[in-house]
Amino acid sequence: MQQQREASTVTSTLTNAASDLRPVNASHQESQGISLPELTAAELERYDRQIGPGVLSVEGQQRLKASTALITRVGGMGGPAALMLTMSGVGRVIIAHGGELISPDLNRQVLGSERVLGKPRAADFGAYLRTKNQFVEVEAIGHEPDDAEAAELAARCDIILACPPTFEERLRLNRAAVYAGIPFIDAAQWGMTGTLIVVKPGETACLECLYPEPPPFEELFPVVGAISSATGSLAALEAIKILSGTGDPLWGKMLTYDGYRGNFTTVQLQRRDSCACCSSL
Amino acid sequence: MKIQISYTGRSYQTASLLPAEITLADGATVDDALRLLTEALSDDRQLPASCLVAVSGEHIGTLTGYINRPLQDRDELILIAPVAGG
Repeated sequence: MQQQREASTVTSTLTNAASDLRPVNASHQESQGISLPELTAAELERYDRQIGPGVLSVEGQQRLKASTALITRVGGMGGPAALMLTMSGVGRVIIAHGGELISPDLNRQVLGSERVLGKPRAADFGAYLRTKNQFVEVEAIGHEPDDAEAAELAARCDIILACPPTFEERLRLNRAAVYAGIPFIDAAQWGMTGTLIVVKPGETACLECLYPEPPPFEELFPVVGAISSATGSLAALEAIKILSGTGDPLWGKMLTYDGYRGNFTTVQLQRRDSCACCSSL
Repeated sequence: MKIQISYTGRSYQTASLLPAEITLADGATVDDALRLLTEALSDDRQLPASCLVAVSGEHIGTLTGYINRPLQDRDELILIAPVAGG
């Protein structure tokens, strides 16, 4: 975001934002006297269908441009999430995913293709994202961040979307987000079911409030790609709402869609007093 | 009183073994409802310990530790098995 701000010709300030519509980090931006980047005529044309009543304001779009989002990993859910964040105009999109693309990935990993089979994902997925929106900077990391790197990335991001296949990675990213004080979205799937958890550090339950220890989970889980894309897109939508200051994010809630039976469930999550991650906040 | 049961997150086979609704005596608690559900499942189909428990949209813990609150007629007992697929 810093690079975006410095590079822009800037100008609009945050003073007109309605307080209840401010993204979670707006006050931090204001305290640093940061102003929003201007949108060019070409950008306004690109985002024409998402600026207006019922969608984003011009200022909300500027907020997206001023934002950085980290998505890890970018397979079944993270891929569509990264795609939607890139196309929506988030200023800087950072993706992280190690390993090479294999055939079973192609039932759901929308950033992949037959051409990439057997090749490392991250660089190619990053290049693909860049073809989708010239106004967005995309940074591709070819591995999963460890604790130190997750903390370093969180310090230069405005939001983290966790889409890895293990609770260990999810809890690591949750911790990095909570310690950095930035919103965290956990998107997960199994079979035809998808879940979303949206965390506002210090105010809502975090992932570790629910799972102090990583529950057992099979890495080679069954999944139908349609639920991956649906869940990843919903995660992106929550991120867009939070970053732009639009609508009512699912703060502190778990949304579950059981596609097998066609049921949506929303649960208000409770913080855990003894949570080692967030109870001191 | 009637309590609706919702189990999701993982294992449709287990979900299909659970009743959509159970009948409990007035004053029954979450403990009573979970005991009934546990008895409905064979040993190899038990709910995972880290299963999230909620009552009518309010999270109350996991199967290993939850607030044993009284239930009311038409409450929905929600059980969500942890999911981490990416």
